[in-house]
Amino acid sequence: MNCEVCQLKELVSLGPPEPRQEVEHIEVREVLRCILHTILFHRALGLVRPKDVDLELFDITYVQCGDVEHEKKINEKIDHFIDRVEKHPNKKNQICLSFYEVKNKQATWFTNKVERHYWEQWYINLNTVQHPKTHSGKSHHPKVVVDPGETASEERNARRTALESSLREVLFQIIKFVNEKKDHVPPIPNLDGVSFPYEITISSSSDSAFGMDMLKRMLQTGHPTMLS
Amino acid sequence: MASNHGNTNSEPATNEQIITEFFAKSLHIILESRCPYVSSRNYSGEQVLSSPSSSSSSSSIFWPRDKWFNLALKDCSAALENIDFWRQSYLEPMVVDVVLVQRSSNWDPLNCSPKRALVRNLSSKERYYWNSENDEYRNEVMSEKIIERWVVEYESKKCSNIGGGGGGSGSKRWSSTSSHTLYKKSTLLLRSLYVTVRLLPAYKLFRDLISSAQIGMYNLGHRVSSFVEPFTHTEEAEMQRFVFTPLDTACGRLCLSVLYRSSISDVSSEPSTPMSPQFIPDYVGSPMADPLKTFPSGPLPQGSPSFSHLGRRHSWSYDLYKASPPSGIPSPSPSYSESHATFAKPHSYRLPPTGGTRHLPDETPQEHVKNTNYDEYSPSPNFSMSPSPSPPTYTPGIHISNALKRSESAPVSIPAIRASGIPPLFYNQMLPPSPPLRPSKSSLAKMDCRSTLLQAGSTVDKIFPFGKDEAGRLTGVKISSNSSPQKSISRSSSRLSFPDDYDESEFSGPFVVDEDDMTDPGSRPGSFDPVGNPCGQNDHLGVSAVKKSQDAAVGALVCMLKKAPPLQQDLQNSANLLHGSRPEILKATTIDPNQISGQPVMQQSAAMSSAASLLAPKTTADALEELHGYAVMKNSLLKQGGDHKHT
Repeated sequence: MNCEVCQLKELVSLGPPEPRQEVEHIEVREVLRCILHTILFHRALGLVRPKDVDLELFDITYVQCGDVEHEKKINEKIDHFIDRVEKHPNKKNQICLSFYEVKNKQATWFTNKVERHYWEQWYINLNTVQHPKTHSGKSHHPKVVVDPGETASEERNARRTALESSLREVLFQIIKFVNEKKDHVPPIPNLDGVSFPYEITISSSSDSAFGMDMLKRMLQTGHPTMLS
Repeated sequence: MASNHGNTNSEPATNEQIITEFFAKSLHIILESRCPYVSSRNYSGEQVLSSPSSSSSSSSIFWPRDKWFNLALKDCSAALENIDFWRQSYLEPMVVDVVLVQRSSNWDPLNCSPKRALVRNLSSKERYYWNSENDEYRNEVMSEKIIERWVVEYESKKCSNIGGGGGGSGSKRWSSTSSHTLYKKSTLLLRSLYVTVRLLPAYKLFRDLISSAQIGMYNLGHRVSSFVEPFTHTEEAEMQRFVFTPLDTACGRLCLSVLYRSSISDVSSEPSTPMSPQFIPDYVGSPMADPLKTFPSGPLPQGSPSFSHLGRRHSWSYDLYKASPPSGIPSPSPSYSESHATFAKPHSYRLPPTGGTRHLPDETPQEHVKNTNYDEYSPSPNFSMSPSPSPPTYTPGIHISNALKRSESAPVSIPAIRASGIPPLFYNQMLPPSPPLRPSKSSLAKMDCRSTLLQAGSTVDKIFPFGKDEAGRLTGVKISSNSSPQKSISRSSSRLSFPDDYDESEFSGPFVVDEDDMTDPGSRPGSFDPVGNPCGQNDHLGVSAVKKSQDAAVGALVCMLKKAPPLQQDLQNSANLLHGSRPEILKATTIDPNQISGQPVMQQSAAMSSAASLLAPKTTADALEELHGYAVMKNSLLKQGGDHKHT
């Protein structure tokens, strides 16, 4: 069975002006939470009671499958992602949501191979741009002191508007992908909620390593892996 | 996926069932997020305390229909009642139109006309209705616009050979259309649909409508039919299309698509009147706001002198809020009623079968808007509207049966006040221009603002004569399981209903004069004249005593003060006048015996003391005491008015 890969459109988020400003990471949290839950909802083919969630920063309502455990797991991964963003600012970061099937091989006394067969992978590309520093200190013209703040605010609003538009595009991209490719989805197991096991991995781009990470991951598709 | 020859015979039946349920589920998903009045209903029979926009995964109760496609949705009566036709046969396409009804007020008293008028634009899906019922206040222009058109259809084709299945291609084709595969793909498709309906612009309008106390200039309605007039090229150019990937089956293809307008988001941002049916005790013109203010006189029938100010919008809302029915049908405010007029506008799509179309007689017959389903108007048992001030949350799916019984259920014998629950616009749409109808009840004729609704109520008889036989339900065009293939037209809206028993006493001023008092000139407060010379208005006051309640007494007091003899006047004349005026004083205090308990005694004593003071030699102290007596009298009269208001 083939593994379908979907590279979602890159999103650009404005990072916080200062590190460890939790309040400013809400933009990243909202975007990732929206995308991850939307994908999961499409793959939660068991009995679910959808939960509509309104984003705080954007005029978008996304859908969760209503499973608290999955919500918690996603929040943890988002926290890890934010830590990665803070450690590697101004870098393109990527979250990979992979669905797999578990194929147990014959276990021996020494090994217990569990083969994972990835049948779908979603790559969420999020570029966190550092917040532009505002002017500080003396200025010969009082108005200049005010304008940079307003300019930064206007810039932030413009970026947020653009981010919302991009987020909508990404959501529709997910919908189209889910509609166009259905044959690779395994049969629906007799489970409630999220039907298929999945994993979320985080990677950040570097000049040379980012592409290699993607290539490595694609080569690993279909091969037994023990990713955490 | 290998085919199971053992289940070959059951596969087509299973596929048919899957397709049928797909129609139902898709309709449910669409209407759940587009019908403001059914979306807030909780899961019927379930112990779910979730808000309308969220659900809890802790709920363990699932209805059988929830398990179809593993998607448990909120209850949506509109969907349940409109799907009957397609449960019989899914070969007809199901077209769901989401209609945006907008209202714009235009104050133009100069161009007012006592007649209703209809202005229609037949060239497009936009229809304009001009309502000049409340011509004293404004003209209304209604417009409808289809903002979304969902099409669910099953394109049947020649079935492939399912008997074989031994060949490679045949088995492969069969595997792609097996029930399991079809069910899985349908589940995926419905997941996408669920997400998509919340990303389209109309969802924002829907959320704004169901949000608290937001009475805007628009409303959302829907139509479910199997055949609609296609959009013109111009209209279609303004819309965007999103097509879901069709699902191939052995005998056809299941298709789902939507045409939607992307430029409607500015509707919700339009300035709206955030009205909530709050109790306004000091509305303009209320006695509490200005007890001494003269109420505008108007044509009032006898016995209801206090309704002169009901023609005011504020008093209208006040009146209605005070006496809203306990069942929870929202009491309208001036703007609220307007919005509810828009809400009930979808009623226009409920057509009698003889009417043919929901629109004008010269509409194309292709608009097979025949079947109407009123069930979405059924009041929800969870509806939380209360007579006391509370925002019109539009929450619930109003059971159409109850709503109709209240407003339309008995077309022949509908009391006008009940039928007034239907906004006039609904009937404006239903009827060609016609002269205004008379209210059926004279008691309501005094309420100018209600006249439109009364006319609407009278019109019910004409519009739905066929519905008399169905236990009070207007189901002449309702889709039923036994009906021939017809279209189902349904709109969701609230039911604008007037309270059946508004409290007339609330509008009684403190000096309201009953009819019995009117017949006794001696009891009129204005007749008192210590000077013996009528104020010049006694006769006039007698004629207009009905209107002047509080004003009469105040005017009498002022007149009395003006005509009061000077302090050094002849005591004999004063004594004569006092003797003659004492009966009038006593009678004046008995104007409203039900309201005044201990006041007559006090007033009498005050009058006696003041009269006695006139006989004695006047001094400054005496004058001051006399003046104090007058002031006490005045205060007592004013207090009576205040006490009477609060009772």
